[in-house]
Amino acid sequence: MEHAPLPLKDVFHLSPPRDRPSLAFPLGLGDAGLHEICEASHGDFAAMTGFALAARAHRKGPIVWIRQAGLKQSHGLLLQAGYREISTNISPCLTITPRKLSETLWATEEAIRSGVAALVIAELEDTDFTASRRLALAAGRHGVPVLLLMPYSRDGATAASARWRISPRPSSPNRYDPKAPGALRWKAVLERSRQAPHMAGQSFDLELDDETLSLRVVSGLAADPVATRPAWAQDRIGPSHLRQSA
Amino acid sequence: MLLENGAKGLGVAAANEPARQLGVTEGLAFTDARARAPNLVAEDLDPVADAKALAALGDWMIRLSPLVAIDGTDGLILETTGCDHLYGGEHAMMEMLSSLLQRNAISHQLGLAGTPGAASALSRAAPGTCLKEGEEQAGLTDLPVAALRLSADAETLLRRFGLTRIGQLYGIDRRALGRRFQSRSAADAVLLRLDQALGLRHEPLAPLRPMPLRSARLNCPEPIATSEAIKIGLEQLTQEVCEALSATGIGARCFLLTAFRSDGSRSDIAVKAARPVREPKHILRLFRERIDTIDPGFGIDLLLLEAHRTDVMETSPMALSGDLASTDMDAIALSALADRIAARLGEGAVSRVQPRESHMPERAEPQARFDGSVPIPAIPSPTAGPRPIRLLPSPERVTVMAEVPDGPPLRFIWRRVPRTVTRADGPERIAPEWWTHIAAPQTPPALGGQARPWLTPKMDPRADAAQIAHVRADLEAMLDAPSEPVKLLPRARDYYRVEDASGRRYWLFREGLYGDGRGGPPEWYVHGLFA
Repeated sequence: MEHAPLPLKDVFHLSPPRDRPSLAFPLGLGDAGLHEICEASHGDFAAMTGFALAARAHRKGPIVWIRQAGLKQSHGLLLQAGYREISTNISPCLTITPRKLSETLWATEEAIRSGVAALVIAELEDTDFTASRRLALAAGRHGVPVLLLMPYSRDGATAASARWRISPRPSSPNRYDPKAPGALRWKAVLERSRQAPHMAGQSFDLELDDETLSLRVVSGLAADPVATRPAWAQDRIGPSHLRQSA
Repeated sequence: MLLENGAKGLGVAAANEPARQLGVTEGLAFTDARARAPNLVAEDLDPVADAKALAALGDWMIRLSPLVAIDGTDGLILETTGCDHLYGGEHAMMEMLSSLLQRNAISHQLGLAGTPGAASALSRAAPGTCLKEGEEQAGLTDLPVAALRLSADAETLLRRFGLTRIGQLYGIDRRALGRRFQSRSAADAVLLRLDQALGLRHEPLAPLRPMPLRSARLNCPEPIATSEAIKIGLEQLTQEVCEALSATGIGARCFLLTAFRSDGSRSDIAVKAARPVREPKHILRLFRERIDTIDPGFGIDLLLLEAHRTDVMETSPMALSGDLASTDMDAIALSALADRIAARLGEGAVSRVQPRESHMPERAEPQARFDGSVPIPAIPSPTAGPRPIRLLPSPERVTVMAEVPDGPPLRFIWRRVPRTVTRADGPERIAPEWWTHIAAPQTPPALGGQARPWLTPKMDPRADAAQIAHVRADLEAMLDAPSEPVKLLPRARDYYRVEDASGRRYWLFREGLYGDGRGGPPEWYVHGLFA
């Protein structure tokens, strides 16, 4: 049984009292533990990458980015120039490209155990309960946060502290050019959570402020119309116009 | 006997002992040899296979001495300085080597002397002789001049002068000897060989394998055949090498383990580190992944560990706290992680971005092998337009359904799914890099990580004549026939950021402009995906 130190004021504790993980929005994403991030449907990998980089807690140090080689062709490489538009805090990345799934899991665990990385991000085809349990234990023991980015096919049991499912949403209206895309928006569904089981199934509508590059939760966005567009823009571009031409 | 097709028809290139007793010697015409011994077995000479076998034997000889060089087409030279006492003196070492070769059924002639030239002459003309340092002049007096590794013409000429013994060359005035040869270079060659044999001129050896700065060897009294035994041996060797490295304050980037099997073959495994290391635990961990690839065969009787690519190690003390550290990265731990991954997954598995100044997005961020240098270089200042978070390895063609002349398409099909564009931003024009089109092709990366400029022909990187002529021919063809498209010239790209109805954001580009004379109508591609 663990003994929690008494919260006495002005008393020096050898080990600082373990703070409870916060129950606010990112639920410790990129700060502690293992988080799974999955596509909602095929083709959302870029949105997922953007969400992971924007929502993660910023820690000083390098990122170890493990990328299974098979995912490169369909989902592309990470472009670091694009990273700048999502996060102000650019950490240098070390990239590891294994071929097989087993090698990817091994490399992920090795990266966690080395303890040098501030964050380990792994893109992989799939994982199972045993592998996720192993990674979660290693992440807890070495205090390295881990994010697993996986395709839409990922389903089933997991030992991760949370599983997020990300899909892109039409971007916010652009103030300067109504025809152009505006601030990035995503929909993040918290599928499972160990820290806050009551929050499972909750959906977050997120918007990335393109000036401060901070993520904010937008409430009631799903109910509202996505963008209020001037009438002339509706005329020139949009579904109604296409329906007429088709 | 072995046959070779020479200038005077088929001739004997080599003959074994029974054939020599019948009077068949090297240089004899094949017909004469047949006349002397009609039943002799003849085979064609295979110089390539011979050279390979000699190199393999030379590699195996590294067990006796770290410096082994190939001498001509049929000899090996071992530098025995500092090695002979391990076997109980020079004579004992020769006897040991002789019995080792005899056991493997390799016919041989040995000679030992203070200079490579004298040793080579002894092994060819007086096998089994061992000369002490400084006795070369006396020892070589009675040997034939053919033992001096001369060309056939020089040998013939010397024979015509009546100079058949090496001793006869000592007394002749050098200038007089030089005058008798037709060319100066032929005379110099003879004098050079003579001086090298006598130790008057230095003869550098070209070692088969680079000499390691530190090495350790483990002789097994009983041949070992299990991987556990190899592991234990490797631990001892690593400890020994690392102690030697730390005594001089250096580390190595490459460790080579060679296992010599008792049947005369060997196998190597090498591990590489991104930064110089000398931590036995780390090195053993790198070897652990590969140790099963050693095939013990009938048993291993010698293990040899060499430290290559040594360099001074940075041994700066660790910062007391992370806030005091100059960088936020632990370079040593990071490269240790990279080494472990690379040892198991292969050399190219660990990489980092090596930013380059290029407007082409696919060329701006090439991946380079992680070489242990920190900080990892950051991407240079932001470029003009927005960049996607994910870039496809190569642009993918899209079918455009509704095209507008001066903007992005309204609908397009990518990966067999039709997508409707709701909003778009652009264009950002990226013009082709004309200088890459006429630049000389880059020289291929040198083998073994060392630049070898003498292997690649000299080429002016700014003006490769052939390439420029090629481009000029293209341009002239374009001027002559304007309707004929020139396919080789790169085209400008107009990039658009578009968003479809479901909120996915793409980076589309149109390659080429209307009427730029560089091909047909422009085509559309998807190059990246925005978050």
